[in-house]
Amino acid sequence: MIPVESYLLLSAAVFCIGLFGILTRKNALIFLMSVELMLNAANINFVAFSLQHGNLTGQVFTLFTMALAAAEVAVGIGIVLVLYRNFSDVDVTIPTTMRW
Amino acid sequence: MVTQVAPLQMAALPGWTALAPVLALAVTALVLLLVDSIDPDTTDTSLLAGISVVGSLVSLALAVWFVVGGTGIPTGQGGQGTPVLFNGQLVVDQLALFFMVIVGSVTALVTLASYDYVREHSYQAEYYSLVLLAATGMSLLSATNSLASAFVALELVSLPSYALVAFLKKNKGSVEAALKYFLIGAVSSAVFAYGISLVYAATGVLRFDAVATAIESGVLQTVVDGSVQAQAGEPAVTMSILGVGILMVIGGVAFKTAAVPFHFWAPEAYEGAPAPISGFLSSASKAAGFVLAFRVFATAFPIQALIADGGALNWVVAFQILAIATMFIGNFAAATQETVKRMLAYSSVGHAGYVLIGLAALSSSGEGLAFSLSAGMAHLLVYGFMNTGAFLFIALAEYWGVGRRFEDYNGLGREAPLACAAMTIFLFSLAGLPIGGGFFSKFYLFSATMNVGAWSLAAALVINSALSLFYYSRVVKAMWIEEPDGEDRVESYPTGLYTAVVAAAVATVLLVPGFDYVSSVAFRAATLL
Repeated sequence: MIPVESYLLLSAAVFCIGLFGILTRKNALIFLMSVELMLNAANINFVAFSLQHGNLTGQVFTLFTMALAAAEVAVGIGIVLVLYRNFSDVDVTIPTTMRW
Repeated sequence: MVTQVAPLQMAALPGWTALAPVLALAVTALVLLLVDSIDPDTTDTSLLAGISVVGSLVSLALAVWFVVGGTGIPTGQGGQGTPVLFNGQLVVDQLALFFMVIVGSVTALVTLASYDYVREHSYQAEYYSLVLLAATGMSLLSATNSLASAFVALELVSLPSYALVAFLKKNKGSVEAALKYFLIGAVSSAVFAYGISLVYAATGVLRFDAVATAIESGVLQTVVDGSVQAQAGEPAVTMSILGVGILMVIGGVAFKTAAVPFHFWAPEAYEGAPAPISGFLSSASKAAGFVLAFRVFATAFPIQALIADGGALNWVVAFQILAIATMFIGNFAAATQETVKRMLAYSSVGHAGYVLIGLAALSSSGEGLAFSLSAGMAHLLVYGFMNTGAFLFIALAEYWGVGRRFEDYNGLGREAPLACAAMTIFLFSLAGLPIGGGFFSKFYLFSATMNVGAWSLAAALVINSALSLFYYSRVVKAMWIEEPDGEDRVESYPTGLYTAVVAAAVATVLLVPGFDYVSSVAFRAATLL
């Protein structure tokens, strides 16, 4: 059996890739994909430790996370759509009418 | 500590009726959608706003009734017992009911004010039902007793909020605000989820009381048939993983409460959103974030066990740093603003810092814990009225077409004396003058810092309150002292907005004599946690 530490490393790597994507990319859609990676990193942890702990709590939580991630993307795509209609682009660095 | 008590001693009622304040909001949201599906082109604002206001007032009345009636107080102390629902996922105690009162009041004010504000817009039914759905999430969040239900309730708050900020979809400011709110919100909910996964990895459970048992005993736990027990073989809790998990949970909470370091969305979202929504998010949504923080950190992560075991993470120190940073960043940024709405947005960040004192001034369990937590709770209740009121006045100014800058408010006091008097009460109460409940709640927070000898927190509170008086006074000076420079801008006195602003002002003033009662209820709620 693969030791549970390996899953922890894998999920940390996936989480960091997602975070890197968010910090460096300008396209709103790629941003959404990066957030999905971060949420799935959490899912890897949940499923791996669900097996390790011998209870189903983690697997059930994963189902919740997937449903919520889908809902979040639905709202997100809607916002990206109005972004495109107002600014003619999906670059997140263009809307800068408000600055402190 | 949560105990399994028979749900609601009013024997005939099943346990789920304890969630009536939440269900009232959820049913109202569905009724609004039903009205919309029967008549999709309805422009009957009175009907939609009426349903929303009645629904939120019913929720408020039920929550007040439960608080006074003793739901959430153990039967031994003359109460009705604490209903624990869905295998311990939800618990309706006094803390939950206290925040349901805040959410109910703010929702009623906001929906009442929206009657005039969104009358010219299409998709009104969706607007009101999104407000009610977000309010449902906030009420539900105050009753969560597990990281799983907390995550679901938090998303139920967030998703309608993103859509509401983008409601003015042809307005670039509104869209930009929604984009920034959504981007930061999505990242922080992912961070929150990852934090939960690490806490689960380290302790084996998600229920708050079970997590606390795991941390205190140092042994991984599991929940069998609703009761917490140690896992077979008694494997030990990995403190390093737990520490990172707790830190990430703080991140998720900091986003919802608009505290440093996840506060960047707040000024943009509050400035770009329709003004009633700004008030809704900065009062009710912030309160919901704080009730989660209070419950998670007071019940799931016992600080003594965390320090004693060689230290997973001393979260009190983390909250002290966050509280001081949030107070200074929020207030100093507010002092440099040119527009009134953005000034209020940054002041809202500053107030998150004040409430964080409730967690940062925790020294011990029991009496000291209840004292500082109840100071934070009382401030959130007062803040719910005065801050919502201030944003609703901005909504009124936007309705009249008054500009956004401080100078544009010149002489407004002569044209609309009643509304401006109410705004003056809100601003002075926010600054902490004894004209409204804000003075007493800040004084309560100050005593909480004194109680544990946290001088740095006390100093930050006093310095920032003094600074805030400067920028709040700029609005008051513009309204009453400066000469108006143009023609009359006030052409009508919208009923809904006026009623909401005046009602919020009356509540703010009534909290001066009523603060003693509020703080005693908050203290009792925090003691029973």
